[in-house]
Amino acid sequence: MNLSYRLRLLVVVLSIGVLAGGGFLFKQLLLPDSFGVYGPYRADAIAEAALVPIRHGTNTSCFKCHPYEAKNHKKGRHQTISCEFCHGTYADHVADSKKIGTLPVKKEKEITTLCLRCHNTEIKARKEEVIKTVAMPNHLKDQNVKLTHNCNQCHYVHAPLKYIIRAKQITGLMEAGS
Amino acid sequence: MDAAHSSAAMLVSNYVFPNDLHVHWSMMIVLYPYITGLVDGAFIIAALYYLFDVKSLRPVARFSLLFALAFLAIATLPLLLHLGRPERNFNMLLTPSPSSAMAGFGYIYAVSMGVLVFIVLFVYREDLVELRATSKGWLQLLYRAMTFDSIDLSKDALAFDRKIIRFLVGIGIPITVVLHGYVGFIFGGVKANPTWSTPLMPVIFLFSACVSGISAIILAYIVIRKVKGRSIDPDCIKTCIKTLTLFFIMAFTFEMLEVFSHSYLKSGYHHMVEGLLNGPLASSFWLWQVKICSVIPLFVLGVMGIFKIKDAIYNFTAAIVSAILLLQVLIMRWNVVIGGQLMSKSARGYTEFHPEWFDKEGILAVVIVMAIPFIILFVLSKIFPFWTTDNETNVK
Repeated sequence: MNLSYRLRLLVVVLSIGVLAGGGFLFKQLLLPDSFGVYGPYRADAIAEAALVPIRHGTNTSCFKCHPYEAKNHKKGRHQTISCEFCHGTYADHVADSKKIGTLPVKKEKEITTLCLRCHNTEIKARKEEVIKTVAMPNHLKDQNVKLTHNCNQCHYVHAPLKYIIRAKQITGLMEAGS
Repeated sequence: MDAAHSSAAMLVSNYVFPNDLHVHWSMMIVLYPYITGLVDGAFIIAALYYLFDVKSLRPVARFSLLFALAFLAIATLPLLLHLGRPERNFNMLLTPSPSSAMAGFGYIYAVSMGVLVFIVLFVYREDLVELRATSKGWLQLLYRAMTFDSIDLSKDALAFDRKIIRFLVGIGIPITVVLHGYVGFIFGGVKANPTWSTPLMPVIFLFSACVSGISAIILAYIVIRKVKGRSIDPDCIKTCIKTLTLFFIMAFTFEMLEVFSHSYLKSGYHHMVEGLLNGPLASSFWLWQVKICSVIPLFVLGVMGIFKIKDAIYNFTAAIVSAILLLQVLIMRWNVVIGGQLMSKSARGYTEFHPEWFDKEGILAVVIVMAIPFIILFVLSKIFPFWTTDNETNVK
Protein backbone atom coordinates (compact mmCIF):
# COMPACT_ATOMS: atom_id res chain seq x y z
CA MET A 1 0.00 0.00 0.00
CA ASN A 2 1.04 3.49 -0.82
CA LEU A 3 2.56 5.03 2.29
CA SER A 4 1.49 8.53 1.34
CA TYR A 5 -2.22 7.68 1.89
CA ARG A 6 -1.47 6.69 5.48
CA LEU A 7 0.68 9.77 5.89
CA ARG A 8 -2.14 11.97 4.67
CA LEU A 9 -4.54 10.34 7.12
CA LEU A 10 -2.01 10.93 9.89
CA VAL A 11 -2.01 14.61 8.92
CA VAL A 12 -5.84 14.60 9.21
CA VAL A 13 -5.68 13.02 12.68
CA LEU A 14 -3.02 15.50 13.79
CA SER A 15 -5.07 18.42 12.44
CA ILE A 16 -8.07 17.28 14.48
CA GLY A 17 -5.81 17.20 17.55
CA VAL A 18 -4.53 20.70 16.81
CA LEU A 19 -8.10 21.97 16.23
CA ALA A 20 -9.29 20.48 19.51
CA GLY A 21 -6.30 21.94 21.39
CA GLY A 22 -6.85 25.28 19.64
CA GLY A 23 -10.44 25.16 20.75
CA PHE A 24 -9.38 25.10 24.37
CA LEU A 25 -7.10 28.13 23.82
CA PHE A 26 -9.89 29.93 21.94
CA LYS A 27 -12.25 29.16 24.81
CA GLN A 28 -9.91 30.96 27.23
CA LEU A 29 -10.06 34.05 25.00
CA LEU A 30 -13.86 34.07 24.90
CA LEU A 31 -14.41 33.56 28.63
CA PRO A 32 -15.70 36.66 30.44
CA ASP A 33 -13.02 38.17 32.71
CA SER A 34 -14.80 37.71 35.98
CA PHE A 35 -15.83 34.11 35.28
CA GLY A 36 -14.85 31.64 37.97
CA VAL A 37 -13.81 34.16 40.64
CA TYR A 38 -16.35 32.72 43.10
CA GLY A 39 -17.63 29.70 41.19
CA PRO A 40 -18.74 28.62 37.72
CA TYR A 41 -20.42 31.94 36.92
CA ARG A 42 -19.56 35.57 36.12
CA ALA A 43 -18.63 37.40 39.34
CA ASP A 44 -19.75 40.72 37.78
CA ALA A 45 -23.28 39.32 37.53
CA ILE A 46 -23.67 39.87 41.29
CA ALA A 47 -23.03 43.62 40.97
CA GLU A 48 -25.35 43.77 37.94
CA ALA A 49 -28.11 41.95 39.80
CA ALA A 50 -27.77 44.40 42.71
CA LEU A 51 -28.65 47.24 40.30
CA VAL A 52 -32.03 45.73 39.47
CA PRO A 53 -34.68 48.02 41.05
CA ILE A 54 -36.37 46.65 44.16
CA ARG A 55 -40.07 45.91 43.60
CA HIS A 56 -41.22 44.67 46.98
CA GLY A 57 -41.60 46.57 50.24
CA THR A 58 -42.23 45.36 53.76
CA ASN A 59 -45.38 45.66 55.89
CA THR A 60 -43.66 48.55 57.71
CA SER A 61 -43.59 50.52 54.46
CA CYS A 62 -47.36 49.99 54.00
CA PHE A 63 -48.26 50.75 57.63
CA LYS A 64 -46.71 54.24 57.39
CA CYS A 65 -49.70 55.46 55.35
CA HIS A 66 -52.36 52.93 56.44
CA PRO A 67 -52.51 53.26 60.26
CA TYR A 68 -56.07 51.83 60.62
CA GLU A 69 -55.22 48.61 58.74
CA ALA A 70 -51.88 48.48 60.60
CA LYS A 71 -53.61 48.56 63.99
CA ASN A 72 -55.91 45.67 63.16
CA HIS A 73 -53.43 43.66 61.13
CA LYS A 74 -50.76 43.70 63.85
CA LYS A 75 -53.20 42.40 66.47
CA GLY A 76 -54.87 39.74 64.36
CA ARG A 77 -54.02 36.20 63.41
CA HIS A 78 -52.83 37.45 60.02
CA GLN A 79 -50.04 39.58 61.53
CA THR A 80 -47.26 37.55 59.87
CA ILE A 81 -48.73 37.81 56.39
CA SER A 82 -47.25 40.30 53.97
CA CYS A 83 -49.61 43.00 52.69
CA GLU A 84 -48.32 42.39 49.19
CA PHE A 85 -49.45 38.79 49.30
CA CYS A 86 -53.06 39.89 48.84
CA HIS A 87 -52.77 43.41 47.47
CA GLY A 88 -49.91 43.23 44.97
CA THR A 89 -46.49 44.73 44.50
CA TYR A 90 -45.38 47.81 46.47
CA ALA A 91 -43.57 49.26 43.44
CA ASP A 92 -46.87 49.42 41.51
CA HIS A 93 -48.32 51.64 44.25
CA VAL A 94 -45.55 53.89 45.52
CA ALA A 95 -42.47 55.41 43.91
CA ASP A 96 -40.21 57.98 45.60
CA SER A 97 -42.65 58.18 48.53
CA LYS A 98 -45.49 59.23 46.19
CA LYS A 99 -48.57 57.26 45.22
CA ILE A 100 -48.35 56.27 41.56
CA GLY A 101 -51.13 53.72 41.24
CA THR A 102 -53.96 51.94 43.01
CA LEU A 103 -53.53 48.36 44.07
CA PRO A 104 -56.51 46.07 43.57
CA VAL A 105 -58.73 45.35 46.58
CA LYS A 106 -60.35 41.96 46.19
CA LYS A 107 -64.12 41.84 46.49
CA GLU A 108 -66.86 39.23 46.84
CA LYS A 109 -66.00 35.86 45.21
CA GLU A 110 -62.42 36.99 44.65
CA ILE A 111 -62.03 37.19 48.41
CA THR A 112 -62.96 33.52 48.77
CA THR A 113 -60.53 32.57 46.00
CA LEU A 114 -57.81 34.51 47.79
CA CYS A 115 -58.54 32.91 51.17
CA LEU A 116 -58.48 29.41 49.70
CA ARG A 117 -54.92 29.92 48.54
CA CYS A 118 -53.89 29.04 52.10
CA HIS A 119 -57.02 27.90 53.94
CA ASN A 120 -57.38 24.73 52.03
CA THR A 121 -57.35 21.14 53.23
CA GLU A 122 -55.57 20.14 50.01
CA ILE A 123 -52.39 21.88 51.15
CA LYS A 124 -50.69 18.92 52.69
CA ALA A 125 -47.43 20.63 53.61
CA ARG A 126 -49.09 22.90 56.16
CA LYS A 127 -51.10 21.23 58.85
CA GLU A 128 -53.82 22.55 61.18
CA GLU A 129 -51.39 24.08 63.67
CA VAL A 130 -49.95 26.50 61.10
CA ILE A 131 -52.97 27.37 58.99
CA LYS A 132 -56.58 26.80 59.89
CA THR A 133 -57.53 24.60 56.97
CA VAL A 134 -61.12 24.42 55.87
CA ALA A 135 -62.80 22.51 53.12
CA MET A 136 -65.28 24.30 50.93
CA PRO A 137 -68.24 24.08 51.07
CA ASN A 138 -68.11 21.87 54.21
CA HIS A 139 -67.07 24.75 56.44
CA LEU A 140 -70.12 26.78 55.39
CA LYS A 141 -72.42 23.81 56.01
CA ASP A 142 -70.88 23.16 59.45
CA GLN A 143 -71.45 26.79 60.45
CA ASN A 144 -75.02 26.73 59.11
CA VAL A 145 -74.25 29.49 56.65
CA LYS A 146 -75.62 29.86 53.13
CA LEU A 147 -73.29 28.32 50.53
CA THR A 148 -73.26 31.58 48.59
CA HIS A 149 -71.60 33.45 51.45
CA ASN A 150 -68.12 34.86 51.03
CA CYS A 151 -65.44 34.48 53.69
CA ASN A 152 -65.45 38.19 54.51
CA GLN A 153 -69.13 38.17 55.43
CA CYS A 154 -68.11 36.64 58.77
CA HIS A 155 -64.36 37.25 58.91
CA TYR A 156 -62.57 40.60 58.85
CA VAL A 157 -59.68 39.77 56.53
CA HIS A 158 -56.97 41.77 58.35
CA ALA A 159 -57.80 40.19 61.72
CA PRO A 160 -59.96 37.20 60.86
CA LEU A 161 -61.30 36.44 64.34
CA LYS A 162 -62.01 40.05 65.34
CA TYR A 163 -65.80 39.99 64.78
CA ILE A 164 -66.12 36.32 65.69
CA ILE A 165 -64.65 36.92 69.13
CA ARG A 166 -66.73 40.07 69.60
CA ALA A 167 -69.90 38.22 68.63
CA LYS A 168 -69.12 35.44 71.03
CA GLN A 169 -68.49 37.95 73.81
CA ILE A 170 -71.87 39.55 73.18
CA THR A 171 -73.73 36.24 73.10
CA GLY A 172 -71.84 34.99 76.12
CA LEU A 173 -69.90 32.24 74.42
CA MET A 174 -66.35 32.71 75.68
CA GLU A 175 -64.53 29.61 74.54
CA ALA A 176 -62.82 31.18 71.49
CA GLY A 177 -59.11 31.98 71.36
CA SER A 178 -57.58 35.40 70.80
CA MET B 1 -58.68 30.44 34.24
CA ASP B 2 -62.17 31.88 34.65
CA ALA B 3 -63.59 28.43 35.07
CA ALA B 4 -61.01 27.65 37.73
CA HIS B 5 -61.94 30.74 39.70
CA SER B 6 -65.69 30.57 39.33
CA SER B 7 -66.41 28.18 42.15
CA ALA B 8 -64.62 27.30 45.32
CA ALA B 9 -65.08 23.60 44.67
CA MET B 10 -63.24 23.80 41.35
CA LEU B 11 -60.47 25.68 43.02
CA VAL B 12 -59.93 22.93 45.52
CA SER B 13 -60.06 20.15 42.95
CA ASN B 14 -57.84 21.68 40.24
CA TYR B 15 -55.39 24.13 41.68
CA VAL B 16 -52.41 24.87 39.43
CA PHE B 17 -49.53 27.03 40.63
CA PRO B 18 -49.26 30.21 38.51
CA ASN B 19 -45.78 29.23 37.31
CA ASP B 20 -47.07 25.83 36.17
CA LEU B 21 -49.93 27.14 34.01
CA HIS B 22 -47.72 27.51 30.95
CA VAL B 23 -45.99 24.49 29.40
CA HIS B 24 -42.47 25.82 28.93
CA TRP B 25 -40.90 22.87 27.10
CA SER B 26 -43.26 22.56 24.18
CA MET B 27 -43.12 21.04 20.70
CA MET B 28 -39.50 21.90 19.90
CA ILE B 29 -38.44 19.92 22.95
CA VAL B 30 -40.63 17.07 21.69
CA LEU B 31 -38.75 17.15 18.38
CA TYR B 32 -35.30 17.21 19.99
CA PRO B 33 -35.38 13.65 21.40
CA TYR B 34 -37.32 12.53 18.31
CA ILE B 35 -34.60 13.73 15.94
CA THR B 36 -31.67 12.39 17.96
CA GLY B 37 -33.63 9.14 18.21
CA LEU B 38 -33.92 8.89 14.43
CA VAL B 39 -30.14 9.43 14.18
CA ASP B 40 -29.54 6.73 16.76
CA GLY B 41 -31.75 4.10 15.10
CA ALA B 42 -30.40 4.79 11.61
CA PHE B 43 -26.85 4.45 12.93
CA ILE B 44 -27.72 1.08 14.49
CA ILE B 45 -28.69 -0.23 11.02
CA ALA B 46 -25.38 1.02 9.58
CA ALA B 47 -23.46 -0.48 12.51
CA LEU B 48 -25.11 -3.86 11.99
CA TYR B 49 -23.70 -3.93 8.46
CA TYR B 50 -20.30 -2.29 8.92
CA LEU B 51 -19.35 -3.76 12.28
CA PHE B 52 -21.44 -6.89 12.80
CA ASP B 53 -21.34 -8.01 9.15
CA VAL B 54 -25.10 -8.45 8.70
CA LYS B 55 -24.70 -8.76 4.91
CA SER B 56 -28.39 -8.53 4.08
CA LEU B 57 -28.43 -4.91 5.24
CA ARG B 58 -26.01 -3.89 2.49
CA PRO B 59 -28.70 -2.07 0.39
CA VAL B 60 -29.59 0.34 3.20
CA ALA B 61 -26.23 0.60 4.99
CA ARG B 62 -24.93 3.65 3.13
CA PHE B 63 -28.36 5.28 3.01
CA SER B 64 -28.82 4.96 6.76
CA LEU B 65 -25.47 6.69 7.36
CA LEU B 66 -26.55 9.64 5.21
CA PHE B 67 -29.99 9.62 6.83
CA ALA B 68 -28.34 9.81 10.24
CA LEU B 69 -26.07 12.61 9.03
CA ALA B 70 -28.97 14.66 7.62
CA PHE B 71 -30.92 14.45 10.87
CA LEU B 72 -27.88 14.93 13.09
CA ALA B 73 -27.15 18.13 11.15
CA ILE B 74 -30.37 19.70 12.48
CA ALA B 75 -30.46 18.03 15.91
CA THR B 76 -29.61 21.30 17.66
CA LEU B 77 -32.05 23.41 15.61
CA PRO B 78 -35.14 22.75 17.76
CA LEU B 79 -33.13 23.59 20.87
CA LEU B 80 -31.92 26.85 19.35
CA LEU B 81 -35.48 27.75 18.28
CA HIS B 82 -36.66 27.01 21.80
CA LEU B 83 -34.06 29.23 23.48
CA GLY B 84 -35.12 32.79 24.06
CA ARG B 85 -31.55 33.88 23.35
CA PRO B 86 -30.17 31.34 20.86
CA GLU B 87 -26.94 33.30 20.38
CA ARG B 88 -26.06 32.45 23.96
CA ASN B 89 -25.80 28.73 23.22
CA PHE B 90 -22.05 29.09 22.90
CA ASN B 91 -21.74 30.45 26.43
CA MET B 92 -22.91 27.13 27.76
CA LEU B 93 -20.12 25.36 25.88
CA LEU B 94 -17.49 27.88 26.90
CA THR B 95 -18.26 27.69 30.57
CA PRO B 96 -19.40 24.16 31.34
CA SER B 97 -19.87 23.21 34.95
CA PRO B 98 -19.59 19.59 36.04
CA SER B 99 -22.65 20.07 38.23
CA SER B 100 -24.79 21.14 35.27
CA ALA B 101 -25.65 18.52 32.66
CA MET B 102 -27.04 20.84 29.99
CA ALA B 103 -23.68 21.74 28.39
CA GLY B 104 -22.93 18.05 27.96
CA PHE B 105 -25.02 17.83 24.81
CA GLY B 106 -22.78 20.27 22.93
CA TYR B 107 -19.73 18.10 23.49
CA ILE B 108 -21.48 14.79 22.85
CA TYR B 109 -23.08 16.26 19.72
CA ALA B 110 -19.77 17.60 18.37
CA VAL B 111 -18.01 14.26 18.86
CA SER B 112 -20.80 12.23 17.26
CA MET B 113 -21.04 14.64 14.33
CA GLY B 114 -17.27 14.38 13.75
CA VAL B 115 -17.28 10.59 13.89
CA LEU B 116 -20.30 10.30 11.58
CA VAL B 117 -18.81 12.68 8.99
CA PHE B 118 -15.58 10.68 8.91
CA ILE B 119 -17.46 7.37 8.59
CA VAL B 120 -19.37 8.78 5.60
CA LEU B 121 -16.15 10.08 4.01
CA PHE B 122 -14.39 6.73 4.34
CA VAL B 123 -17.43 4.74 3.18
CA TYR B 124 -17.76 6.94 0.10
CA ARG B 125 -14.06 7.35 -0.63
CA GLU B 126 -14.17 5.23 -3.80
CA ASP B 127 -17.05 7.29 -5.22
CA LEU B 128 -15.46 10.54 -4.12
CA VAL B 129 -12.16 9.70 -5.85
CA GLU B 130 -14.07 9.02 -9.07
CA LEU B 131 -16.06 12.26 -8.74
CA ARG B 132 -12.87 14.16 -8.06
CA ALA B 133 -11.41 13.01 -11.38
CA THR B 134 -14.40 14.32 -13.33
CA SER B 135 -14.95 17.61 -11.46
CA LYS B 136 -13.40 21.03 -11.93
CA GLY B 137 -12.68 24.22 -9.99
CA TRP B 138 -14.14 24.67 -6.52
CA LEU B 139 -15.96 21.38 -6.64
CA GLN B 140 -12.68 19.59 -7.33
CA LEU B 141 -11.12 21.33 -4.33
CA LEU B 142 -14.04 20.14 -2.19
CA TYR B 143 -13.59 16.56 -3.39
CA ARG B 144 -9.83 16.80 -2.79
CA ALA B 145 -10.50 17.78 0.80
CA MET B 146 -13.10 15.04 1.22
CA THR B 147 -10.74 12.37 -0.12
CA PHE B 148 -7.91 13.62 2.13
CA ASP B 149 -6.11 14.63 -1.09
CA SER B 150 -5.40 11.02 -2.01
CA ILE B 151 -6.52 9.09 -5.08
CA ASP B 152 -5.06 5.84 -3.79
CA LEU B 153 -7.65 3.12 -4.47
CA SER B 154 -5.27 0.18 -4.28
CA LYS B 155 -6.39 -3.04 -2.59
CA ASP B 156 -4.31 -2.24 0.47
CA ALA B 157 -5.70 1.25 0.75
CA LEU B 158 -9.32 0.01 0.52
CA ALA B 159 -8.62 -2.73 3.07
CA PHE B 160 -7.18 -0.04 5.33
CA ASP B 161 -10.31 2.06 4.77
CA ARG B 162 -12.48 -0.85 5.86
CA LYS B 163 -10.44 -1.20 9.05
CA ILE B 164 -10.85 2.51 9.74
CA ILE B 165 -14.61 2.26 9.08
CA ARG B 166 -14.90 -0.67 11.50
CA PHE B 167 -12.96 1.26 14.13
CA LEU B 168 -15.01 4.45 13.66
CA VAL B 169 -18.33 2.55 13.69
CA GLY B 170 -17.09 0.69 16.77
CA ILE B 171 -16.53 3.91 18.70
CA GLY B 172 -19.60 5.40 17.01
CA ILE B 173 -21.95 2.95 18.76
CA PRO B 174 -21.16 4.07 22.33
CA ILE B 175 -21.12 7.68 21.13
CA THR B 176 -24.62 7.51 19.56
CA VAL B 177 -25.90 5.55 22.54
CA VAL B 178 -24.53 8.26 24.82
CA LEU B 179 -25.99 10.93 22.51
CA HIS B 180 -29.50 9.63 22.92
CA GLY B 181 -29.10 8.12 26.38
CA TYR B 182 -28.06 11.62 27.43
CA VAL B 183 -31.36 13.02 26.17
CA GLY B 184 -33.21 10.46 28.28
CA PHE B 185 -30.92 11.22 31.19
CA ILE B 186 -31.70 14.94 30.96
CA PHE B 187 -35.40 14.18 31.48
CA GLY B 188 -34.70 11.43 34.01
CA GLY B 189 -32.50 13.87 35.92
CA VAL B 190 -35.30 16.36 36.54
CA LYS B 191 -35.90 15.39 40.15
CA ALA B 192 -38.86 17.74 40.50
CA ASN B 193 -40.94 15.89 37.91
CA PRO B 194 -42.26 12.55 39.15
CA THR B 195 -43.02 11.14 35.67
CA TRP B 196 -39.52 11.91 34.37
CA SER B 197 -37.41 11.23 37.41
CA THR B 198 -36.72 7.54 36.90
CA PRO B 199 -33.48 5.76 35.99
CA LEU B 200 -35.50 3.86 33.37
CA MET B 201 -35.81 7.05 31.32
CA PRO B 202 -32.51 6.75 29.33
CA VAL B 203 -33.26 3.08 28.63
CA ILE B 204 -36.78 3.77 27.39
CA PHE B 205 -35.55 6.64 25.26
CA LEU B 206 -32.78 4.50 23.76
CA PHE B 207 -35.00 1.61 22.75
CA SER B 208 -37.71 3.82 21.31
CA ALA B 209 -34.95 5.74 19.49
CA CYS B 210 -33.83 2.51 17.82
CA VAL B 211 -37.47 1.79 16.92
CA SER B 212 -38.02 5.19 15.31
CA GLY B 213 -34.68 5.18 13.43
CA ILE B 214 -35.10 1.68 12.00
CA SER B 215 -38.74 2.39 11.07
CA ALA B 216 -37.65 5.56 9.32
CA ILE B 217 -35.00 3.69 7.32
CA ILE B 218 -37.50 0.98 6.28
CA LEU B 219 -40.15 3.50 5.27
CA ALA B 220 -37.69 5.80 3.46
CA TYR B 221 -36.05 2.89 1.65
CA ILE B 222 -39.37 1.46 0.43
CA VAL B 223 -40.83 4.85 -0.54
CA ILE B 224 -37.73 6.15 -2.35
CA ARG B 225 -37.18 2.88 -4.23
CA LYS B 226 -40.87 2.71 -5.24
CA VAL B 227 -40.92 6.31 -6.40
CA LYS B 228 -37.71 5.81 -8.39
CA GLY B 229 -39.11 2.57 -9.86
CA ARG B 230 -36.29 0.42 -8.53
CA SER B 231 -36.34 -3.00 -6.91
CA ILE B 232 -36.73 -3.53 -3.17
CA ASP B 233 -34.46 -6.13 -1.62
CA PRO B 234 -36.75 -8.55 0.30
CA ASP B 235 -33.91 -9.94 2.45
CA CYS B 236 -32.93 -6.46 3.53
CA ILE B 237 -36.52 -5.57 4.51
CA LYS B 238 -36.88 -8.87 6.40
CA THR B 239 -33.69 -8.27 8.40
CA CYS B 240 -34.75 -4.70 9.15
CA ILE B 241 -38.20 -5.84 10.30
CA LYS B 242 -36.67 -8.55 12.52
CA THR B 243 -34.33 -6.01 14.12
CA LEU B 244 -37.23 -3.60 14.47
CA THR B 245 -39.34 -6.29 16.14
CA LEU B 246 -36.62 -6.97 18.70
CA PHE B 247 -36.14 -3.31 19.57
CA PHE B 248 -39.87 -2.61 19.60
CA ILE B 249 -40.63 -5.47 21.98
CA MET B 250 -37.97 -4.11 24.33
CA ALA B 251 -39.11 -0.50 23.95
CA PHE B 252 -42.78 -1.29 24.55
CA THR B 253 -41.99 -3.61 27.47
CA PHE B 254 -39.90 -0.95 29.17
CA GLU B 255 -42.57 1.70 28.57
CA MET B 256 -45.15 -0.52 30.26
CA LEU B 257 -42.67 -1.55 32.96
CA GLU B 258 -42.26 2.09 33.86
CA VAL B 259 -46.01 2.56 34.26
CA PHE B 260 -46.10 -0.66 36.27
CA SER B 261 -43.30 0.39 38.61
CA HIS B 262 -44.98 3.78 39.13
CA SER B 263 -48.25 2.12 40.05
CA TYR B 264 -46.61 -0.56 42.21
CA LEU B 265 -44.23 1.75 44.14
CA LYS B 266 -46.97 4.37 44.64
CA SER B 267 -44.30 6.82 45.77
CA GLY B 268 -44.87 10.45 46.81
CA TYR B 269 -46.63 11.90 43.78
CA HIS B 270 -48.15 8.69 42.51
CA HIS B 271 -51.69 10.03 42.69
CA MET B 272 -50.59 12.78 40.27
CA VAL B 273 -48.96 10.39 37.79
CA GLU B 274 -51.96 8.08 37.91
CA GLY B 275 -54.31 11.00 37.43
CA LEU B 276 -52.20 12.27 34.56
CA LEU B 277 -52.22 9.00 32.60
CA ASN B 278 -55.93 8.45 33.20
CA GLY B 279 -56.92 12.11 32.91
CA PRO B 280 -55.29 14.58 30.52
CA LEU B 281 -53.25 11.85 28.77
CA ALA B 282 -55.95 9.18 28.69
CA SER B 283 -56.40 9.54 24.96
CA SER B 284 -52.84 10.27 23.82
CA PHE B 285 -51.23 7.65 26.09
CA TRP B 286 -53.61 4.72 26.50
CA LEU B 287 -55.53 4.99 23.25
CA TRP B 288 -52.92 6.30 20.78
CA GLN B 289 -49.51 5.35 22.18
CA VAL B 290 -50.44 2.01 23.71
CA LYS B 291 -53.51 0.59 21.95
CA ILE B 292 -53.35 1.92 18.41
CA CYS B 293 -49.63 2.50 17.88
CA SER B 294 -48.12 -0.30 20.02
CA VAL B 295 -50.50 -3.24 20.38
CA ILE B 296 -51.57 -3.25 16.71
CA PRO B 297 -47.96 -3.08 15.32
CA LEU B 298 -46.89 -5.73 17.83
CA PHE B 299 -49.61 -8.02 16.49
CA VAL B 300 -48.73 -7.23 12.85
CA LEU B 301 -44.99 -7.75 13.49
CA GLY B 302 -45.86 -11.10 15.10
CA VAL B 303 -47.83 -12.17 12.01
CA MET B 304 -44.94 -11.01 9.77
CA GLY B 305 -42.50 -13.04 11.82
CA ILE B 306 -44.49 -16.27 12.03
CA PHE B 307 -46.28 -16.65 8.69
CA LYS B 308 -44.84 -16.84 5.19
CA ILE B 309 -46.00 -13.78 3.30
CA LYS B 310 -45.53 -12.78 -0.35
CA ASP B 311 -42.75 -10.23 -0.82
CA ALA B 312 -45.01 -7.48 -2.18
CA ILE B 313 -47.48 -7.79 0.71
CA TYR B 314 -44.59 -8.10 3.19
CA ASN B 315 -43.02 -4.87 1.93
CA PHE B 316 -46.33 -3.03 1.99
CA THR B 317 -47.04 -4.18 5.55
CA ALA B 318 -43.48 -3.28 6.53
CA ALA B 319 -44.00 0.27 5.29
CA ILE B 320 -47.33 0.61 7.13
CA VAL B 321 -45.97 -0.80 10.39
CA SER B 322 -42.93 1.49 10.17
CA ALA B 323 -45.16 4.50 9.65
CA ILE B 324 -47.28 3.57 12.70
CA LEU B 325 -44.16 3.02 14.82
CA LEU B 326 -42.74 6.39 13.74
CA LEU B 327 -45.98 7.89 15.00
CA GLN B 328 -45.80 5.80 18.19
CA VAL B 329 -42.39 7.19 19.09
CA LEU B 330 -43.48 10.76 18.30
CA ILE B 331 -46.56 10.36 20.53
CA MET B 332 -44.37 8.79 23.23
CA ARG B 333 -42.05 11.83 23.15
CA TRP B 334 -45.10 14.08 23.30
CA ASN B 335 -46.55 12.21 26.27
CA VAL B 336 -43.24 12.31 28.13
CA VAL B 337 -42.19 15.89 27.38
CA ILE B 338 -45.50 17.75 27.30
CA GLY B 339 -47.48 15.25 29.39
CA GLY B 340 -44.91 15.45 32.16
CA GLN B 341 -45.37 19.21 32.38
CA LEU B 342 -49.16 19.12 32.65
CA MET B 343 -48.89 18.26 36.35
CA SER B 344 -48.63 21.20 38.70
CA LYS B 345 -46.22 21.04 41.61
CA SER B 346 -49.25 21.87 43.76
CA ALA B 347 -49.97 18.12 43.38
CA ARG B 348 -53.65 18.94 43.03
CA GLY B 349 -54.16 20.16 39.50
CA TYR B 350 -53.30 19.77 35.84
CA THR B 351 -52.74 22.48 33.29
CA GLU B 352 -53.59 22.27 29.59
CA PHE B 353 -51.53 22.50 26.43
CA HIS B 354 -52.86 23.73 23.10
CA PRO B 355 -50.40 23.71 20.19
CA GLU B 356 -50.45 26.88 18.11
CA TRP B 357 -49.96 27.15 14.37
CA PHE B 358 -47.76 30.21 14.01
CA ASP B 359 -45.94 30.21 17.31
CA LYS B 360 -42.13 30.21 17.48
CA GLU B 361 -42.54 26.60 18.60
CA GLY B 362 -45.81 26.04 16.76
CA ILE B 363 -47.01 23.43 14.29
CA LEU B 364 -45.68 25.32 11.25
CA ALA B 365 -42.23 25.55 12.88
CA VAL B 366 -42.37 21.79 13.53
CA VAL B 367 -43.19 21.08 9.88
CA ILE B 368 -40.36 23.33 8.69
CA VAL B 369 -37.83 21.80 11.09
CA MET B 370 -38.82 18.27 10.05
CA ALA B 371 -38.63 19.21 6.34
CA ILE B 372 -35.06 20.54 6.53
CA PRO B 373 -33.34 17.13 7.00
CA PHE B 374 -35.09 15.85 3.87
CA ILE B 375 -33.76 18.83 1.91
CA ILE B 376 -30.29 18.11 3.33
CA LEU B 377 -30.75 14.46 2.37
CA PHE B 378 -31.67 15.51 -1.18
CA VAL B 379 -28.55 17.69 -1.45
CA LEU B 380 -26.41 14.88 0.02
CA SER B 381 -27.84 12.46 -2.57
CA LYS B 382 -26.33 14.65 -5.30
CA ILE B 383 -22.83 14.16 -3.83
CA PHE B 384 -23.13 10.73 -2.23
CA PRO B 385 -25.15 8.19 -4.23
CA PHE B 386 -27.56 6.40 -1.85
CA TRP B 387 -27.53 2.99 -3.48
CA THR B 388 -24.70 0.74 -4.59
CA THR B 389 -24.62 0.12 -8.36
CA ASP B 390 -25.17 -3.65 -8.19
CA ASN B 391 -28.65 -3.07 -6.87
CA GLU B 392 -30.13 -0.99 -9.65
CA THR B 393 -32.53 -3.37 -11.38
CA ASN B 394 -35.88 -1.93 -12.42
CA VAL B 395 -39.13 -3.14 -10.97
CA LYS B 396 -41.65 -4.60 -13.36
